[in-house]
Amino acid sequence: MRNKVTLFHWEPNANSGKPMLALAEKGVAFESHYLDLLNFDQHKPDYLKINPQGTIPAMIHGDRVLTESTAIMEYADNEFEGPALMPADPKDRWRVRWWMKFMDQWLGPSFSMIGWSIFVGPSVRARDPKELEAAIERIPLPERRTAWRKAIYNLFSEEELAESTRRIGVGIGMLEEALAKNEWLGSDQYSLADVNGFNLGYALPMAQPALANDEKTPHIMEWLRKIYERPATKFIWAMGRAPRFADRVKFLEREPAA
Amino acid sequence: MSLTLYHGEPNGPSLTVLAALYESGREAELVAVDLAAGERHSRAPQARLVEMNIEGEGPVLVADGEPMADSVFLAQYLDESGNGTLQPDDAYARWEMEMWCRFIIERVAPAAALLGNRAHLTPKLQAMSDDDFEVLVGRIGSADLAARWRKERVGEYPEAQLEDSRIKIRQAVEKLEARLSGDWILGAFTIADLETYAWLAGMVALVPEAFAGAPKTSAWLARVKARPSVQRALAAARTNDPLKAWAPGPEINRWG
Repeated sequence: MRNKVTLFHWEPNANSGKPMLALAEKGVAFESHYLDLLNFDQHKPDYLKINPQGTIPAMIHGDRVLTESTAIMEYADNEFEGPALMPADPKDRWRVRWWMKFMDQWLGPSFSMIGWSIFVGPSVRARDPKELEAAIERIPLPERRTAWRKAIYNLFSEEELAESTRRIGVGIGMLEEALAKNEWLGSDQYSLADVNGFNLGYALPMAQPALANDEKTPHIMEWLRKIYERPATKFIWAMGRAPRFADRVKFLEREPAA
Repeated sequence: MSLTLYHGEPNGPSLTVLAALYESGREAELVAVDLAAGERHSRAPQARLVEMNIEGEGPVLVADGEPMADSVFLAQYLDESGNGTLQPDDAYARWEMEMWCRFIIERVAPAAALLGNRAHLTPKLQAMSDDDFEVLVGRIGSADLAARWRKERVGEYPEAQLEDSRIKIRQAVEKLEARLSGDWILGAFTIADLETYAWLAGMVALVPEAFAGAPKTSAWLARVKARPSVQRALAAARTNDPLKAWAPGPEINRWG
């Protein structure tokens, strides 16, 4: 079909969650192909035919193949009918873009490094060493090979983990400051920056309870809860398969009124 | 709506934004600052998102009192609040532009900044007194950017890292050479041409072998340079050779 949308994704979190949520907000139906990141599905030949870089997510729209989560979201917003996920005012648009880049390239990698060191690495480390080495060798991008090697063999230096921890602290402070200024991240309209930020930060109150909580970061907490309650978010999170993730997002349920 | 642009020498991010300003048809008051002397942190208006901008040292555009940074996003702002000629309308072409710009920003710019700073900034910083350098770095709010300034002052990089940077410049030229079929990267002239030119122009002198067998790239460099907007941007130079003007840029990827 010429206009069919197919999305290749993992759990509805981090990079995979971004286009899933953006498409749901736009009301665009898509065929879902779940790839298990922890099973290295994204480096298998069938998928490499679609995205030779072996990164997820990827989207096929008609005969177009699109990669990179934030760029896919922007494509979806420009291409499809449905509510606009970018504000109209040029300065608001600048802020939304600024935040997405800051999260994608500065804050996100710090979350990712910690997450991979405490979760992804340990999740796969116990497997047959030969199998793991072969899996690493199949990764097309040298940067991703390095990342997987670090996670699997726990090669993170104290220094880089400390720097990531520092950045997470700084980033939380900046998010709280921004969300105290505007209802949504960078503007007063629900936008791609919020979709992006939710995928990055939904687990913050659970993973960093000392830094993100109702006393210290009330604006972040309210922001995450409001996004969690959106119908599109509920719909997308129902597509998850691994209970670990579903449990983490449930942390955002509001306490029932007494 | 009033605009003031605090810009450095027309190279790298300052070149992109100056040329985008002239392409956009918008008018701005221009204030030249010396980015290599840390003047973004002393002479330009301060704001959290400018200080924490991960592009490193670049121009600051103040629109109705709000200081903004990041060369691609400033170019998009100028285009979207101006005559709208620098970005494709089609969603797929727009995706291609974003992907191209990200390739330049994430892979090429950190490599170019490392090579450019090593050649042209390190000697300036080493000539400063320790006290003056500490005053400069002390004004920088982003700890990782301050750390990059300190590294540039030392200026010692392992050969493997220098070679990795030169490889990234060679790969960028190969990609450009393969992509160019008409006058501009994506067909029509876009921000991708400006951003690519701004980071690559200074590499011709530093990594000449990358450009040796690349006639299309050489012709494209000349075409971009000849555009009236780029000529006007280059006329804002206060030094003889703006291609030698470098200041700490984006960091090299620390995580895949």
